[in-house]
Amino acid sequence: MATIRGESGSVEFETGSGSLATVVGTRSWSLTTTKETLDSTVHGNTFRQFVGSMISGSGTVELVYDPDATGQAAFVEDVMKTGDAADASFELFTTGSTNGTDSLSFGGIITDMEISSTVGELVTVSCSYITSGTITSNLE
Amino acid sequence: MAAADLNTIRATIEGRLATELASSPAIPVVFHNMPYEPTPNSSWVQCLTTFGSSEYLGHGSTSNSYNRIVGLVVLNIFSSKGVGPGANYVIGKRIRDLYNRVIVSGVFFDAPIGPEALASPAPEGYFQTQVRVTFESIEEL
Repeated sequence: MATIRGESGSVEFETGSGSLATVVGTRSWSLTTTKETLDSTVHGNTFRQFVGSMISGSGTVELVYDPDATGQAAFVEDVMKTGDAADASFELFTTGSTNGTDSLSFGGIITDMEISSTVGELVTVSCSYITSGTITSNLE
Repeated sequence: MAAADLNTIRATIEGRLATELASSPAIPVVFHNMPYEPTPNSSWVQCLTTFGSSEYLGHGSTSNSYNRIVGLVVLNIFSSKGVGPGANYVIGKRIRDLYNRVIVSGVFFDAPIGPEALASPAPEGYFQTQVRVTFESIEEL
Protein backbone atom coordinates (compact mmCIF):
# COMPACT_ATOMS: atom_id res chain seq x y z
CA MET A 1 0.00 0.00 0.00
CA ALA A 2 1.27 3.44 -0.86
CA THR A 3 -0.97 6.14 0.47
CA ILE A 4 -0.23 9.76 -0.32
CA ARG A 5 -0.51 12.71 2.00
CA GLY A 6 -2.17 15.81 0.65
CA GLU A 7 0.78 18.08 1.29
CA SER A 8 2.75 16.11 -1.32
CA GLY A 9 0.62 17.60 -4.06
CA SER A 10 1.27 20.59 -6.24
CA VAL A 11 -0.17 22.59 -9.09
CA GLU A 12 1.49 23.68 -12.31
CA PHE A 13 -0.07 26.26 -14.57
CA GLU A 14 0.66 28.39 -17.61
CA THR A 15 -1.54 31.10 -19.03
CA GLY A 16 -1.13 30.12 -22.64
CA SER A 17 2.04 31.97 -23.45
CA GLY A 18 4.69 30.07 -21.55
CA SER A 19 5.53 26.72 -20.09
CA LEU A 20 4.06 24.89 -17.12
CA ALA A 21 5.53 26.02 -13.82
CA THR A 22 4.70 25.43 -10.17
CA VAL A 23 2.24 27.80 -8.56
CA VAL A 24 3.84 28.39 -5.16
CA GLY A 25 1.48 28.52 -2.18
CA THR A 26 -1.30 26.19 -3.27
CA ARG A 27 -2.86 24.28 -0.41
CA SER A 28 -5.57 22.25 -2.05
CA TRP A 29 -6.90 21.25 -5.42
CA SER A 30 -9.80 19.22 -6.64
CA LEU A 31 -11.03 17.95 -9.99
CA THR A 32 -14.44 16.46 -10.58
CA THR A 33 -14.77 14.60 -13.86
CA THR A 34 -18.21 13.85 -15.24
CA LYS A 35 -19.22 11.61 -18.12
CA GLU A 36 -22.60 12.19 -19.65
CA THR A 37 -24.64 9.20 -20.67
CA LEU A 38 -26.95 8.52 -23.59
CA ASP A 39 -29.95 6.32 -23.25
CA SER A 40 -29.58 3.44 -25.70
CA THR A 41 -32.56 1.46 -24.55
CA VAL A 42 -34.37 -0.20 -27.46
CA HIS A 43 -37.61 -2.03 -27.94
CA GLY A 44 -37.48 -5.37 -26.30
CA ASN A 45 -35.20 -4.26 -23.48
CA THR A 46 -36.61 -4.72 -20.04
CA PHE A 47 -33.80 -2.88 -18.33
CA ARG A 48 -32.70 0.60 -19.36
CA GLN A 49 -29.22 0.75 -20.90
CA PHE A 50 -26.79 3.56 -21.58
CA VAL A 51 -23.63 4.39 -23.44
CA GLY A 52 -21.03 6.87 -22.27
CA SER A 53 -20.88 10.26 -23.99
CA MET A 54 -19.11 13.58 -23.44
CA ILE A 55 -16.62 13.95 -20.63
CA SER A 56 -16.10 17.22 -18.80
CA GLY A 57 -14.34 18.40 -15.71
CA SER A 58 -14.30 21.20 -13.19
CA GLY A 59 -12.65 21.90 -9.90
CA THR A 60 -10.97 24.31 -7.54
CA VAL A 61 -7.50 25.35 -6.49
CA GLU A 62 -6.98 27.10 -3.15
CA LEU A 63 -3.92 29.17 -2.33
CA VAL A 64 -2.38 30.88 0.66
CA TYR A 65 -2.10 34.38 -0.78
CA ASP A 66 1.41 35.70 -1.19
CA PRO A 67 1.83 38.44 -3.78
CA ASP A 68 5.51 37.58 -4.13
CA ALA A 69 5.07 33.82 -4.59
CA THR A 70 6.13 32.50 -7.98
CA GLY A 71 3.23 31.87 -10.32
CA GLN A 72 0.46 33.13 -8.06
CA ALA A 73 -0.26 36.42 -9.80
CA ALA A 74 -0.63 34.82 -13.22
CA PHE A 75 -2.90 32.17 -11.76
CA VAL A 76 -5.27 34.31 -9.73
CA GLU A 77 -5.50 37.00 -12.39
CA ASP A 78 -6.25 34.61 -15.24
CA VAL A 79 -9.93 35.03 -14.48
CA MET A 80 -9.58 38.62 -15.73
CA LYS A 81 -8.53 37.48 -19.18
CA THR A 82 -11.11 38.62 -21.71
CA GLY A 83 -11.87 36.62 -24.82
CA ASP A 84 -10.34 33.63 -23.05
CA ALA A 85 -9.43 31.03 -25.66
CA ALA A 86 -9.07 28.22 -23.12
CA ASP A 87 -5.38 28.21 -23.89
CA ALA A 88 -4.30 27.91 -20.27
CA SER A 89 -2.82 24.61 -19.18
CA PHE A 90 -3.10 22.92 -15.81
CA GLU A 91 -1.33 19.94 -14.31
CA LEU A 92 -2.50 18.81 -10.87
CA PHE A 93 -0.12 16.50 -9.03
CA THR A 94 -1.05 14.11 -6.27
CA THR A 95 2.63 13.84 -5.41
CA GLY A 96 5.89 15.17 -6.82
CA SER A 97 6.17 17.41 -9.83
CA THR A 98 7.35 15.18 -12.66
CA ASN A 99 5.24 16.08 -15.65
CA GLY A 100 3.11 13.20 -16.83
CA THR A 101 3.43 11.26 -13.58
CA ASP A 102 0.92 11.10 -10.70
CA SER A 103 -1.04 13.93 -12.21
CA LEU A 104 -4.01 15.10 -14.21
CA SER A 105 -3.39 17.54 -17.04
CA PHE A 106 -5.78 19.51 -19.19
CA GLY A 107 -6.51 22.84 -20.80
CA GLY A 108 -9.04 25.02 -19.09
CA ILE A 109 -10.49 28.33 -18.09
CA ILE A 110 -10.50 29.87 -14.64
CA THR A 111 -14.10 30.86 -14.14
CA ASP A 112 -14.14 32.18 -10.57
CA MET A 113 -11.63 33.78 -8.24
CA GLU A 114 -12.48 34.57 -4.64
CA ILE A 115 -10.00 36.22 -2.31
CA SER A 116 -10.89 36.44 1.36
CA SER A 117 -9.41 38.21 4.34
CA THR A 118 -10.63 37.15 7.78
CA VAL A 119 -9.43 38.35 11.18
CA GLY A 120 -7.10 35.80 12.73
CA GLU A 121 -6.61 33.85 9.51
CA LEU A 122 -4.31 33.99 6.53
CA VAL A 123 -5.55 35.64 3.36
CA THR A 124 -6.55 32.90 0.95
CA VAL A 125 -7.62 32.71 -2.68
CA SER A 126 -9.94 30.12 -4.16
CA CYS A 127 -10.15 29.68 -7.94
CA SER A 128 -12.61 27.54 -9.82
CA TYR A 129 -12.01 26.27 -13.33
CA ILE A 130 -13.60 24.17 -16.02
CA THR A 131 -11.67 21.93 -18.33
CA SER A 132 -11.66 22.40 -22.07
CA GLY A 133 -10.65 19.51 -24.29
CA THR A 134 -8.93 16.33 -23.29
CA ILE A 135 -8.26 15.48 -19.66
CA THR A 136 -5.16 13.32 -19.46
CA SER A 137 -5.02 11.10 -16.43
CA ASN A 138 -1.64 9.93 -15.20
CA LEU A 139 -2.91 8.48 -11.94
CA GLU A 140 -1.21 5.15 -12.51
CA MET B 1 13.70 30.54 0.50
CA ALA B 2 15.12 28.71 3.48
CA ALA B 3 14.06 27.01 6.65
CA ALA B 4 13.19 29.39 9.47
CA ASP B 5 15.96 30.26 11.90
CA LEU B 6 14.32 29.89 15.30
CA ASN B 7 17.17 31.75 16.94
CA THR B 8 16.46 34.75 14.71
CA ILE B 9 12.80 34.66 15.74
CA ARG B 10 13.80 34.38 19.39
CA ALA B 11 16.23 37.28 19.00
CA THR B 12 13.49 39.40 17.40
CA ILE B 13 11.18 38.78 20.34
CA GLU B 14 13.74 39.18 23.08
CA GLY B 15 15.57 42.08 21.45
CA ARG B 16 12.37 44.07 21.30
CA LEU B 17 11.81 43.58 25.02
CA ALA B 18 15.43 44.26 25.96
CA THR B 19 15.40 47.54 24.06
CA GLU B 20 12.15 48.69 25.64
CA LEU B 21 13.14 47.83 29.21
CA ALA B 22 16.56 49.41 28.79
CA SER B 23 14.88 52.78 28.29
CA SER B 24 13.91 54.93 31.23
CA PRO B 25 12.79 53.76 33.67
CA ALA B 26 15.11 50.82 33.04
CA ILE B 27 14.00 47.46 34.42
CA PRO B 28 16.18 44.34 34.56
CA VAL B 29 15.08 41.56 32.26
CA VAL B 30 16.21 37.96 32.34
CA PHE B 31 15.73 35.32 29.64
CA HIS B 32 15.75 31.52 29.46
CA ASN B 33 18.81 29.79 30.90
CA MET B 34 20.34 32.91 32.41
CA PRO B 35 21.40 33.27 36.04
CA TYR B 36 19.82 36.18 37.92
CA GLU B 37 19.76 37.14 41.57
CA PRO B 38 16.95 39.69 41.99
CA THR B 39 17.38 42.59 44.35
CA PRO B 40 14.74 42.46 47.13
CA ASN B 41 11.86 44.95 46.69
CA SER B 42 12.88 45.71 43.12
CA SER B 43 11.00 45.29 39.85
CA TRP B 44 12.23 42.92 37.18
CA VAL B 45 10.92 40.90 34.27
CA GLN B 46 11.47 37.32 33.17
CA CYS B 47 10.91 36.54 29.48
CA LEU B 48 10.45 32.91 28.42
CA THR B 49 10.12 32.20 24.70
CA THR B 50 9.04 28.73 23.57
CA PHE B 51 8.12 27.24 20.23
CA GLY B 52 5.15 24.96 19.85
CA SER B 53 3.69 22.86 17.08
CA SER B 54 4.07 23.67 13.41
CA GLU B 55 1.60 22.91 10.66
CA TYR B 56 1.57 22.57 6.91
CA LEU B 57 0.11 25.55 5.12
CA GLY B 58 0.41 24.41 1.55
CA HIS B 59 1.49 21.87 -0.99
CA GLY B 60 5.11 20.98 -1.66
CA SER B 61 7.76 19.10 0.22
CA THR B 62 11.09 20.68 1.06
CA SER B 63 10.77 23.43 -1.52
CA ASN B 64 8.05 25.78 -2.71
CA SER B 65 6.12 25.15 0.49
CA TYR B 66 4.94 26.98 3.59
CA ASN B 67 4.70 26.02 7.25
CA ARG B 68 3.18 27.90 10.13
CA ILE B 69 5.39 28.05 13.23
CA VAL B 70 3.63 29.03 16.43
CA GLY B 71 5.08 29.95 19.79
CA LEU B 72 4.44 31.56 23.12
CA VAL B 73 6.16 34.34 25.02
CA VAL B 74 5.56 34.20 28.77
CA LEU B 75 6.51 37.42 30.55
CA ASN B 76 6.62 37.29 34.32
CA ILE B 77 6.59 40.73 35.91
CA PHE B 78 7.84 41.01 39.49
CA SER B 79 7.46 44.06 41.71
CA SER B 80 7.58 44.96 45.39
CA LYS B 81 5.23 43.05 47.67
CA GLY B 82 2.65 44.81 49.84
CA VAL B 83 2.41 48.11 47.93
CA GLY B 84 -0.44 47.38 45.54
CA PRO B 85 -0.40 46.42 41.87
CA GLY B 86 0.07 49.86 40.28
CA ALA B 87 3.82 49.74 39.63
CA ASN B 88 3.53 46.21 38.29
CA TYR B 89 0.73 47.13 35.89
CA VAL B 90 2.71 50.09 34.59
CA ILE B 91 5.37 47.61 33.48
CA GLY B 92 2.64 45.31 32.21
CA LYS B 93 1.28 48.05 29.98
CA ARG B 94 4.74 48.75 28.56
CA ILE B 95 5.13 45.08 27.71
CA ARG B 96 1.61 44.64 26.39
CA ASP B 97 1.96 47.64 24.10
CA LEU B 98 5.25 46.25 22.84
CA TYR B 99 3.64 43.16 21.29
CA ASN B 100 -0.04 43.93 20.89
CA ARG B 101 -0.89 42.86 17.28
CA VAL B 102 2.57 43.94 16.15
CA ILE B 103 4.20 42.45 13.06
CA VAL B 104 7.98 42.70 13.11
CA SER B 105 10.56 40.86 11.01
CA GLY B 106 7.97 38.35 9.88
CA VAL B 107 6.78 37.54 13.40
CA PHE B 108 3.05 38.10 13.95
CA PHE B 109 2.12 38.75 17.59
CA ASP B 110 -1.44 38.14 18.71
CA ALA B 111 -3.38 40.20 21.24
CA PRO B 112 -1.69 39.61 24.63
CA ILE B 113 -3.28 37.82 27.59
CA GLY B 114 -2.88 39.55 30.92
CA PRO B 115 -1.28 40.89 32.97
CA GLU B 116 -2.78 38.26 35.26
CA ALA B 117 -1.94 38.38 38.96
CA LEU B 118 -0.51 35.09 40.25
CA ALA B 119 -1.50 33.91 43.71
CA SER B 120 1.78 32.09 44.30
CA PRO B 121 4.70 34.11 43.00
CA ALA B 122 7.88 32.27 42.08
CA PRO B 123 10.28 33.28 43.48
CA GLU B 124 8.43 34.29 46.63
CA GLY B 125 8.73 37.77 48.12
CA TYR B 126 7.33 39.66 45.13
CA PHE B 127 4.00 40.60 43.61
CA GLN B 128 3.91 38.73 40.29
CA THR B 129 1.78 39.16 37.21
CA GLN B 130 2.07 37.36 33.91
CA VAL B 131 1.57 38.49 30.32
CA ARG B 132 1.36 35.80 27.65
CA VAL B 133 1.63 36.49 23.95
CA THR B 134 1.18 33.88 21.26
CA PHE B 135 3.00 34.48 18.01
CA GLU B 136 3.41 32.87 14.64
CA SER B 137 5.85 33.00 11.79
CA ILE B 138 5.40 31.68 8.27
CA GLU B 139 8.26 29.49 7.13
CA GLU B 140 8.88 29.58 3.38
CA LEU B 141 10.87 26.63 2.12
